[in-house]
Amino acid sequence: MATTPMTYSPSQGAERRQKQQQMRRMSQELDWKRSDGRSFHQCRPACLQTGATNAASGSAYAEFGATKVIVSVFGPRESKKAMMYSDIGRLNCNVSFTTFATPIRGQGSDNKEYSAMLHKALEGAVILESFPKTTVDVFALVLESGGGDLPVIISCASLALADAGIMMYDLVSSVSVSCFGKNIVIDPTAEEEACQDGSLMIACMPARNEVTQLTLTGQWSTAKTNEAMELCMDACSKLASIMRSCLKKSANLSS
Amino acid sequence: MATSARGGGEGEAAAGGGGGGGAAAEMEVEAYRRLFPVAYFERHLRESVRLDARPLASPRDTSVALGLVGSADGSALVKFGDTTMVAAIKLEVMTPPAESSDEGSVAVEFYMPPICSPTVRPGRSAEVAPVISKQLSDVIMSSGMINLKDLCLINGKASWIAYLDIYCLNADGSLFDAALVSTVAAFTHLEIPLVSVSDDGRVVTVPGELEGKTKLPLVNKDKRKLMLNNVPFSLTCGLHKEHILVDPTAEEESIIETFVTVVLDTLGRVVSVYKPGGSVLAYTSILKECITLAKRRAQQLRNILNESVSAMEVDKSS
Amino acid sequence: MVGLSEGEKHFIRGGIAQDLRSDGRKRLQFRSISVETGVIPQANGSARVRLGATDVIASIKAELGKPSILRPDKGKVSIFVDCSPTAAPMFEGRGGEELSNDLSVALQRCLLGGTSGAGAGIDLSSLIIVDGKVCWDLYIDGLVISSDGNLLDALAAAIKVALSNTGIPKVSVLGASSDEQPDVDVSDEEFLQFDTSGVPVIVTLTKVGRHYIVDATSEEESQMSSAISVSVNRRGQICGLTKRGGAGLDPSVVLDMISVANSVSQQLITVLDSEIAAAEASEE
Repeated sequence: MATTPMTYSPSQGAERRQKQQQMRRMSQELDWKRSDGRSFHQCRPACLQTGATNAASGSAYAEFGATKVIVSVFGPRESKKAMMYSDIGRLNCNVSFTTFATPIRGQGSDNKEYSAMLHKALEGAVILESFPKTTVDVFALVLESGGGDLPVIISCASLALADAGIMMYDLVSSVSVSCFGKNIVIDPTAEEEACQDGSLMIACMPARNEVTQLTLTGQWSTAKTNEAMELCMDACSKLASIMRSCLKKSANLSS
Repeated sequence: MATSARGGGEGEAAAGGGGGGGAAAEMEVEAYRRLFPVAYFERHLRESVRLDARPLASPRDTSVALGLVGSADGSALVKFGDTTMVAAIKLEVMTPPAESSDEGSVAVEFYMPPICSPTVRPGRSAEVAPVISKQLSDVIMSSGMINLKDLCLINGKASWIAYLDIYCLNADGSLFDAALVSTVAAFTHLEIPLVSVSDDGRVVTVPGELEGKTKLPLVNKDKRKLMLNNVPFSLTCGLHKEHILVDPTAEEESIIETFVTVVLDTLGRVVSVYKPGGSVLAYTSILKECITLAKRRAQQLRNILNESVSAMEVDKSS
Repeated sequence: MVGLSEGEKHFIRGGIAQDLRSDGRKRLQFRSISVETGVIPQANGSARVRLGATDVIASIKAELGKPSILRPDKGKVSIFVDCSPTAAPMFEGRGGEELSNDLSVALQRCLLGGTSGAGAGIDLSSLIIVDGKVCWDLYIDGLVISSDGNLLDALAAAIKVALSNTGIPKVSVLGASSDEQPDVDVSDEEFLQFDTSGVPVIVTLTKVGRHYIVDATSEEESQMSSAISVSVNRRGQICGLTKRGGAGLDPSVVLDMISVANSVSQQLITVLDSEIAAAEASEE
């Protein structure tokens, strides 16, 4: 927790627990309003923008509800790690959070798990043969964590890669769902994620109909898995078209 | 230096050829800029113009936006041209040390994540980040901007510790100046949550809708905003030969011989002057000029900050 | 990594396409599993699992702790995997760190269920002693001694066996006052057996060419285009899933792989059950 001795955030405790219990009760029922007024199968409005920072070869900013992510892509540039010659390029991913991203103040350090997941989600889409011997660095900073962080990071990173002119088979878009009892809700908020029974996240290349990353936690029956996957794939292709129009817009502006 | 002297001669030739226009000439200028950065830069200075077409004494476009980070108690986004800073303040409760039982404290940290610049790699923090952290912390404390007694909740039992975290999203020079503006802006935006003390002695927040309904005593009903006295603003001036360049970019910073950072408070008093080594000796006359420039800039920054505050209030009411 | 010539690569791929792998197995056949329990006497439970040349140890240690404020009615479990430098030269120094992290995260995802605690292989509420005050902290450590592919499946199997071998001391609560930390007495004679019926196994399907295989050796893993690890419990429910990078997959292929993994896992559970019974019998 905090580095200085014995400090605490006053907003924790009873109030928060009560909210969670309330959420659990509601999730058992078949029809309930989500705290932000969305229906079960409705995603948060997505705001995407390329060219957020000009120090990088390419960058993108994504804002999905309260989740705010900024991704910079550097390179292709000289490999620092692998000195040996290699026919294919290296993709290096790093995800970090700001100290104020979460309700409880964190340490603001690197997130190794997310870094590895981001790498796995992107490596199937990037044409590594197009930049032999060199490295492309994908650095993500989560300014605010409002739920569904990893899917937002993945989508934003693929947009930044496109902005940097890195060759890809297709854009990668990613969406997650949470499951509460019988209900499946798409694009959960942090509040919802804190008490979900299970989650499923898909990263895919919609134009090629290929899944690049898939993770699942909690107990799922086969039928429910099918339903959740269909829901995600559908949302992914819609998200990809938003990403595409964002790229077109920035290309028109610059030309 | 031998290279720069030789580059100077070629520079005139290239610049003369560039006047003819055409894609080939343009490429040459770009190549020249990369190969002989000092000569290219000095050629501009002789015409009293900067690499980004600014006059020497004018700062970049500056913007301040308040309250962008929802998870923080106070936050601000500041842009100086392409240099971008996000500052956020989170308040936590601490037991004050015995020697200052009626005071809170402020913990400042400046971060340069890998996204801000191609030179920063993950795992290794940038060298300048801790230096700027320390400078910011010193300026906040010595300027007397914040009265630490305002951060006290219950004498000897509980007081606020304000964690101020500043992230540089894009590093393009004059980082300290931008970080200081974002600090002041975040403190201006800071709203202290209403709190009361629960039965077990912990401080808990009171949500807005419960105000007036809760049985617990409210601790800080009339202390929801921090009073800022003597707000400090700073200006970094790059010194190169006989020229003074206000608000240098990263490219200029890599070329110029040295720089001076002047911090002034509301009354125009000098809070701090910082000049690292470098080859140009800062004569008193140059320092005086830097202070004059800093005064002008401080007034400008004050206006921009006030505008952003009123812009936010309009946002809120509409 | 394994250095393979073009001819060897071709041989491995060709064998998989014809359902006859280089070690004589069929595509969906595991290597022989050998299980040993109680290998680490000072742990509360431990097991060693060997799958061909892959050799892993899992140990379970239980310590008294305090439940987190957010989940006062549940105990805590932490899973950590270490790749010993003896297993492969590339694990030396910090080389094994990334793999260790990957394996730890994948195991956590498969064993600990959703954030609400639903669907967890290990029932966290059974670890509670006094609500909000005292609980068991379970430390699950995996150690990779020798690596010849399919580490995740071997580790999950070792953890499942180790849990069934785990005895947790019986705890009686003495004089519990309402606001202070209650005194507890930990018995060193009476042990409670852990309920492992819900602990899932993990089956990793490795896709080579157009086919997928189970229990790939490291030679075969070097030829993979992509892999999916599915964790399945006794009732055939999916408890966790991770895709191991590589190329993209068609969603219908993913679903097919899940159903194949599901049927294979039931065989694996049966094998493990009989191995556990045999190991227990030999111990007594």
